[in-house]
Amino acid sequence: MLGFTKGLKYTLKQLTKEKVTYNYPDEPLPLPDRFRGIQKFYPEKCIVCNQCMNICPTECINLTGKKHPDPTKKGKIIDTYDINFEICILCDLCTEVCPTEAIVMTNNFELASYSRDMLFKNLEWLDENDENVRQVNKP
Amino acid sequence: MIRTEEMLLNVGPQHPSTHGVFRLVVKIDGEIITEATPVIGYLHRGTEKLAENLQYTQIIPYTDRMDYLSAMTNNYVICHAVETMMGIQVPERADFLRVMAMELGRIASHLVAWGTYILDLGATSPFIYAFRDREMIINMLNELSGARLTFNYMRVGGVKWDAPEGWVDGVREFVPYLREQLKGYHNLVSGNEIFLDRVKGVGVYSKEDAINYSLSGPNLRSTGVKWDLRKDEPYSIYDRFDFNIVTRDEGDCLARYHVRLEEIEESLKILEQACEQFPAEGEIMAKVPKIIKAPKGEAFVRIESPRGEIGCYISSDGKKEPYRLKFRRPSFYNLQILPKLLVGENIANLIAILGAVDIVLGEVDG
Ligand code: SF4
Ligand code: SF4
Repeated sequence: MLGFTKGLKYTLKQLTKEKVTYNYPDEPLPLPDRFRGIQKFYPEKCIVCNQCMNICPTECINLTGKKHPDPTKKGKIIDTYDINFEICILCDLCTEVCPTEAIVMTNNFELASYSRDMLFKNLEWLDENDENVRQVNKP
Repeated sequence: MIRTEEMLLNVGPQHPSTHGVFRLVVKIDGEIITEATPVIGYLHRGTEKLAENLQYTQIIPYTDRMDYLSAMTNNYVICHAVETMMGIQVPERADFLRVMAMELGRIASHLVAWGTYILDLGATSPFIYAFRDREMIINMLNELSGARLTFNYMRVGGVKWDAPEGWVDGVREFVPYLREQLKGYHNLVSGNEIFLDRVKGVGVYSKEDAINYSLSGPNLRSTGVKWDLRKDEPYSIYDRFDFNIVTRDEGDCLARYHVRLEEIEESLKILEQACEQFPAEGEIMAKVPKIIKAPKGEAFVRIESPRGEIGCYISSDGKKEPYRLKFRRPSFYNLQILPKLLVGENIANLIAILGAVDIVLGEVDG
């Protein structure tokens, strides 16, 4: 019986300890700055270099560019930018390769929705996702 | 005349005690198992095949999803294999960060193994305590890498992030805390009479069996074989630390339980020394080409994961993707002995034996 009582003693001792659970979702979950959540996209910064699309291991980024409207400027600007969050694994590689930090991670992680189509996020949606943006993006 | 009949019982694939999607078809005669056939593959994602079309850096997030309870060791094995092929020397600071991350991962993984094992045997509260302490590790790794389980932290040639401000101190403080908690774990479970009745002398196999079945990790060491790659084939900077290989001689479920708990203590020793020796500054990435191309040829490396020996074989034809990639996944090998162990056992012991093997289905199925 000794083992039993020892265990019971340990359990009883825990009753006085502080709570360790979070009151989620009533209070937001504390997350470190590096946390990799849904991306924020800055269309004005993007130079359409396609690096993010090429590095993505699940091929979930689709982007197209168009000619710069100002004929005196060279290069392209972004036209459409979609991420399919059905298969995005939030691996951070796209933000790692982006030379202008046009795509960065945020601390938002709530993606659940009632239909799969809702998981296709386009340029406007990603642009508006501008809360809790990661401060330090490159090591 | 009483006529008896054998019965076919299907355990899983959706069963809380199979730790994932694992199915076991058992033939029982009364309460005694006469035959057991594991059915695997429900979680097969074809990591090895997918890797043939991916660059080396892109493969790393996929390895997170094999043994998702200790993704750091998986990250390491692929990076280590590529580094071996390319002859890259990893900077010291990166090596320290890698070892600390891996040892934290090992502790977290053993805590899950411990908690869920007791849960399988019917006691709920130890599981909660294990997860309370594991949460602290997960938070530390989250601060370091930005994810709670799928870290994608290591890169060929080093690590992605340097330790954030105060992180090493956090680890240093965690060591005595967990030592204290481990005493509590022993008080709570190790001496419990019901627990001992359930696991002592159950699922015994011999040293020879363990070696013949290619078991590794705690499953091997619980039979008395002193074999740990961190000591026997030191990789990274493990030769700088002073720690012991934990073994037990009994080869039963209780021995495996004790090996895991004691390995946590050994990992804490490594962490303590790593915090002491942690270099004040230094690079975290070696000089590597932007596009990583392993030279033509092949390489095989193996390291000690919490579950045993994880190996990575790369055959390269000099391109930026591997020609063939193969992982030796320890859970898959450890599972092979299960049918042999189960025959002749009481059906109630099935869960006790399966739980003690400590499989992760992501790794079994690959
Ligand atoms: S986080 Fe990873 S999977 Fe998601 S879009 Fe970026 S590269 Fe692709
Ligand atoms: S890597 Fe950055 S700049 Fe290049 S296309 Fe992607 S988002 Fe735009």
